[in-house]
Amino acid sequence: MDLIWYLVILAAVAIAAGFVGSLTGIGGGIIIIPVLVIFFNVPLVVAIGASVITILANSATTGSAYLHDRLTDLRIGMFLEIATVPGAIIGAVLTVYLVHADLQDALLVALGIILILLAVAGLRRIRDDAYTIAVPDRRSRRLGLSGSYHDAQLNETIAYQAADTNRALGIMFAAGLVAGMFGIGSGVLKVTALDDALKLPIKVSTATSNFMIGVTACATTGVLLAAGYVNAVLAVPVAVGATAGALMGSYILPGVRSRTVRIAFTLVLVGLSIELIIRGLGGP
Amino acid sequence: MSQNPPAAPHRELPADAYRDMTRILRIGLITALVILLGGIAAYLVENASIGFGQMLAENPIVHYLGLDALAHGLATGQPEAYLTLGVLVLVATPIARVVTGLYFFARNREREMALIATTVGVLLFVGILVIGPFLR
Repeated sequence: MDLIWYLVILAAVAIAAGFVGSLTGIGGGIIIIPVLVIFFNVPLVVAIGASVITILANSATTGSAYLHDRLTDLRIGMFLEIATVPGAIIGAVLTVYLVHADLQDALLVALGIILILLAVAGLRRIRDDAYTIAVPDRRSRRLGLSGSYHDAQLNETIAYQAADTNRALGIMFAAGLVAGMFGIGSGVLKVTALDDALKLPIKVSTATSNFMIGVTACATTGVLLAAGYVNAVLAVPVAVGATAGALMGSYILPGVRSRTVRIAFTLVLVGLSIELIIRGLGGP
Repeated sequence: MSQNPPAAPHRELPADAYRDMTRILRIGLITALVILLGGIAAYLVENASIGFGQMLAENPIVHYLGLDALAHGLATGQPEAYLTLGVLVLVATPIARVVTGLYFFARNREREMALIATTVGVLLFVGILVIGPFLR
């Protein structure tokens, strides 16, 4: 088969992944790496390179929309990037080191486990009870890590303050490390830091997480690109397809969060992750 | 949690910070996609018979990561050089956003936040320009 047909099929798969990922709220990017590795025999580190390009494109698309609506907290996002960026650089370096040491199989197993954990965590019901403003810690007060946004559904302005900045920085470093190692957005971990540790409203957490994912992916992409592991011919159809699919998902079916689709998508992701683990362990 | 916690000082970034960052993300994304799609179309025209496995093994952009090679490739119309440029624009977009944040924090005379933005920018540059090439 000619290269162009491979790329057309890749783009179609990426559109479907982006569409279903957006529809379910889990994110289509997470499924791209196992699909590339299992169905297209792409080496893991090259699949990771394609995934981070996809995340960059996706984050710029949705990030600009959240910014336009002023749901993103620029101050808190910038503050937490001080933890995610070094995490992502260390993660990417670790991955390149493992590949150079011929330990890709260990990386496959670790990725499979991480994807299963993230897929299950993605099923967690998002807290949607009334927001109660938190007590800011000293650093939060000093840096002015507080803000407000207009909630269109409630038709009121919600004020918020960031609470436990130390715990949030720790979780963000871990999120950066996982994102850098495996070329995923780590949105679940980032939202956990913003939602559980800083006690921000869920809409602000989601928007700020998405905004930060771009800078984290930038750190990972920069390292992998300079190391020679980003293949643009592979990455372009994947990134364009996944971004187009995500846009279709968000525009065509706004507000649809079918639990059945969500569970089905998670099961597919878990199945692909198990296949990664089996391959990593030397199975068929 | 408390109903009446002590308030953190509320410092709002100006509306043009949000407007400028939105523009940067959109312009960066559109520019990168135009270059990448043009580059891939030209690459496919020039490499119509190449196989998927061969493309993966050769990684077409790896020879254009140096500044001289990239400039020469762009000047001579090499599709691979344009693909490299497109990826670089995509990578540079969040960096431009960090630099814009630094500008607005400095303009607001928020020394600590400006220092944080500078640190994030320096870390990105170190990762991309120092650590990445060292791993090649």
